[in-house]
Amino acid sequence: MSTRAKRGFRLKEWIFTTDHKRVAVLYLAGSFTAFFLAGVMAMLMRTELSSIGPTITDNPATYNTWLYFHGAAMILGYLIPALTGFFANYYVPLMIGAKDVAFPRVNALSFWLYFAGIVLALLTFVVPDPPDIMWTGYPPYSIFSPGNTALYSFTVLLMGFSSIAGGINLLTTVIRMRAPGMTWNKLNIFVWCTMGAFVLQLLFVPFIGVAVIMLLLDKYLGMNFFNAAAGGSAVIYENIFWFYSHPAVYVILLPAIGLIYEITATFARNRVFNYKGTVYGGIWGVVALSGVVWGHHLYVSAMPAWLTPIITFTTLLISVPVGLLVIGLLGTLYRGSIEFKTPMLYASGFFFLFLIGGLTGIPNALSAIYSHIHGTYWIPGHFHYVMAISATTAVIGGVYYVFPKLTGKQYNETLGKLGFVLFFIGANITFGLTMYMGAAYGMPRRYYDYAQFPEVERLQYITTLGSYIILLAAIVIAVSWLHALIAGKKSEENPWGSRSLEWTHSVSPPPPGNFPEEVRLADDWDPYDYTK
Amino acid sequence: MSEHPGVGAVDGELVWHTSVWPFLASVGLLLVLPLPFMLHFVYGKSVLAAVVLAAGVVLIILTAAGWVADGLEDVHGYGAGHSVWAMPLFIMAEALIFVGFLAGYWMLRFSASSWPPAGTPAKEYAVPVFMTILLVSSSVTTHLAERELEPERESRPGFIFWLCVTMILGTVFMGLTVYEWSTLFHEGFNLGTNVYSTVFYSITGLHASHVFAGLGIFVCLLIPALRGKVNIPFVKAASMYWHFVDIVWLFVVTQVYFW
Amino acid sequence: MANGLNRPVLWTTAIVLSAASRAEARSPDITAGWHELWREVIWDISIIGALFAAITLYLLVRYRRSRAQKNGTGNPLTPLAAIGWVLIPVFVFLADDIFLAAKNYDLWNQYRAVPENAYVVDVEAGMWSWDFRHPDGFIETNELRVAVGRPVHIRLTSRDVVHSFFIPDYKVKWDAVPGKTNYLWFNPVEPGEHVVTCTEFCGTLHSSMFGKVIVMPQAEFDTWLEAKRREKI
Ligand code: HEA
Ligand code: HEA
Ligand code: CUA
Ligand SMILES: [Cu+2]
Repeated sequence: MSTRAKRGFRLKEWIFTTDHKRVAVLYLAGSFTAFFLAGVMAMLMRTELSSIGPTITDNPATYNTWLYFHGAAMILGYLIPALTGFFANYYVPLMIGAKDVAFPRVNALSFWLYFAGIVLALLTFVVPDPPDIMWTGYPPYSIFSPGNTALYSFTVLLMGFSSIAGGINLLTTVIRMRAPGMTWNKLNIFVWCTMGAFVLQLLFVPFIGVAVIMLLLDKYLGMNFFNAAAGGSAVIYENIFWFYSHPAVYVILLPAIGLIYEITATFARNRVFNYKGTVYGGIWGVVALSGVVWGHHLYVSAMPAWLTPIITFTTLLISVPVGLLVIGLLGTLYRGSIEFKTPMLYASGFFFLFLIGGLTGIPNALSAIYSHIHGTYWIPGHFHYVMAISATTAVIGGVYYVFPKLTGKQYNETLGKLGFVLFFIGANITFGLTMYMGAAYGMPRRYYDYAQFPEVERLQYITTLGSYIILLAAIVIAVSWLHALIAGKKSEENPWGSRSLEWTHSVSPPPPGNFPEEVRLADDWDPYDYTK
Repeated sequence: MSEHPGVGAVDGELVWHTSVWPFLASVGLLLVLPLPFMLHFVYGKSVLAAVVLAAGVVLIILTAAGWVADGLEDVHGYGAGHSVWAMPLFIMAEALIFVGFLAGYWMLRFSASSWPPAGTPAKEYAVPVFMTILLVSSSVTTHLAERELEPERESRPGFIFWLCVTMILGTVFMGLTVYEWSTLFHEGFNLGTNVYSTVFYSITGLHASHVFAGLGIFVCLLIPALRGKVNIPFVKAASMYWHFVDIVWLFVVTQVYFW
Repeated sequence: MANGLNRPVLWTTAIVLSAASRAEARSPDITAGWHELWREVIWDISIIGALFAAITLYLLVRYRRSRAQKNGTGNPLTPLAAIGWVLIPVFVFLADDIFLAAKNYDLWNQYRAVPENAYVVDVEAGMWSWDFRHPDGFIETNELRVAVGRPVHIRLTSRDVVHSFFIPDYKVKWDAVPGKTNYLWFNPVEPGEHVVTCTEFCGTLHSSMFGKVIVMPQAEFDTWLEAKRREKI
């Protein structure tokens, strides 16, 4: 079942690969495919929204299917797999000095389960009755819907199963396969962040599995979990769904901010500020709190009265560990020597954009304020700032950062920087205005049309223009990568001069088995040691 | 992406490991679950669904066999002994699935105006008690099987014997589930009767599916063992899983049958 | 309606009740309360954001790479400094969180305590319209007429899927869930027309599920009500 390495490109060695780096690359391909398709849906949606009344479709159901696919594919198909599939898979073994993950074949299985999920998601465009239940799939609508709810449920189940398998695998890897001398307090911040993310996956993915299984049972086997007439309750689903889906946002945030830490430390050539505070206070603080705040999605639907003030407080409390993570990042700049290559530019963007995204979570948390902004464009404003801007910034910046390692080639700085500038401008216009429409006019989300809000039409139009700038940015970024892949100059082994293991102890790109020699670390080795 | 031969490596020693089984397993899973389900329940094409399902089952069995055979040879040279670390993590995730269903049950029950809801037949205690006895003793026999492999004994026939006993107990348990379900169906207590039937069938069904999976894992232990191959970490992990299935049953039986 | 468990609720209710007992009761204006809290929280996060952004900008400019210095010179923290850099921010952030939570608590309790003298309307949501049942028993679809100055108590339910009742101008919203009766209230202080619209995805025509709240002067409202009553008989 093995083949020799030297023979150039072999399709079989990719499809059937069990090597963590190649599995990672498969994940990257899958997640960018999802990003691309969901991005196309976003462009269709934005175009439709640019004016009141039918713009490019006169069928609201079509819009609803675009939006369903956009939300589900962006979160489940693109962002989580890019972070916990690609980056975690690629970096973790390299950063801890391991040859591979603990269970290489299970790793490949995780990818293929995720891929099967994508295949199902794509069926959305083929079946006569595409799902239209939004990424949240609330019953009873998802039970009544003429759309194919089963497609949604199985997509979620496959991706969830993939996450659980991946999480077990990487956690076992970090616990068992660290190189001699790699003690816990020498792990890269990114490794800690992915561990936090995977603990969250293991603890909470089971719940979304339960929620969507209940949907299947109710809709297709006639059970009564959500059937009010028979004593069931839709509120059960909402609670179980958000019990997973809130922690899921930290499954995104943690690896994303972990990447920003790596980039920042490398380009500031500096130690990580307050390593232990960041790890044990910041990362594990987020993990500890993430299970007790789900109710902030349900203040006006399913929270018992006594619970609301408690959930408000626990939600606000998340600002504490996240604040520690921000302080750790800024402290890493302090007395650094910052070089603004493309990855660092993305990291710099992250510092500001994540402040907007995170801080706009604070009004959401206040149940009284929420009475207005819940369900309006303010919310997509908030979460696009954290996911579509901040976390995506981390992903794109992270790809630029890993590019020489991954391919052995170097990208073009000018193109890289141009992409960032366009992205920064377009994203702020688009999602800044989105947020404003929600707060100022109460423009509701998931609206195909907005005849009752004529005053926002102009803003919607400008927002759509903003989204075209994002599209332009995406094209520039894609071109810069393709250009580098095809015509890029050969990169140095460690072009950034990083002190982290994946750059210093391996070659670019790393061979099977990762390290030419068994890794052993000296007592005074540290991944962020730039003083020597 | 070009391959890098690696520094200081003897030419040809570096290999990109491959395995077809993960890919096939995922195809098999698609064929076994989502596709037939949708074909049957959503599009009403039951014959096609059955064909797809059959193909999926064959594929899954082949894949499992191939995967286990490869694993026993340990072609990759890693993975040794990690499974006893991974299994507890997996069990934790699995346990939370039960917690999720039980939480749904509690929410239903605490908001119900009366319990049990109308349409529920009188409770029958003999069968669940007997099932509990079966499952608890099967946990003991798994333990005995595992003990046969300890260094001081190393008795493969002993292992096979206790493994078979365990599997028989598990199979009888499954049979009783089928018996119980069909009796209840005859009494008119079916999936959609009321919220209790919803809870009852979903939770016992979920548990039964775990027993079934456990039996499947045991088959993957038994066949190689009959041919003289035993992977001890795998045995340990499988037995942990079986104990978990047993312990969960205690929650199921107390919550769903006796409360 | 009030949740008897917490003191501020009792307190609010007491005020509401004593106010209601007088003629021409003045109920708390939750809409104004919303605007005030909104202003406060926006200031709060803007200040925090501006502060952090300013620090970031300073650090990015001040520590950009120079030719003289290629490596960063940040030192590892001493244990005491490390603990301080955790504890001090924790307490500062915590203080802000508690401040906001307390402010919200007061307003939220007003949101949840319906004034005694409120005009009760039963709302049934359905795909894709709103039915308003007035105390006199007649039902109006997609048009809710109320009198100015008297709080309106909405009792919400749904006949099919989950909807959400939202009046942007009054800053109130609650879900209409099948099998449950939820509630909210608002205080129409001035005559005028306001949009009421659905904010929980409920299928194809979700975005068309809207109507009007028409706030009428008392006299006008009375005439209208009288006409409606006669119509019913
Ligand atoms: C990566 C994803 C991500 C992240 C990180 C967050 C982070 C946060 N989110 Fe967000 N959120 C989403 C993704 C995310 N969210 C999504 C997808 C939805 C909508 C889902 C849907 O309905 O479809 C949503 C919706 C959502 C809601 C529900 C709104 C509604 O449905 O009406 C709420 C309510 O409380 C909320 C709050 C928060 C809070 C408090 C944080 C906090 O974690 C933020 C913490 C960060 C900071 C506060 C900034 C940095 C800290 C400092 C500078 C320290 C000092 C600050 C203070 C003392 C305040 N979010
Ligand atoms: C990671 C998460 C993520 C990301 C990145 C995005 C990205 C974008 N989102 Fe989305 N969005 C969500 C997650 C995300 N979104 C979620 C969860 C919802 C809620 C769904 C719900 O309500 O249920 C939502 C909802 C949502 C709405 C609300 C609609 C409504 O409520 O009616 C809108 C409207 O403007 C929108 C717009 C956009 C836009 C313009 C982008 C742009 O940033 C997209 C830009 C990307 C592209 C344009 C891709 C193009 C790529 C290329 C061109 C590269 C070329 C490739 C090759 C050559 C190979 N999104
Ligand atoms: Cu009713 Cu949306
Ligand atoms: Cu949340």
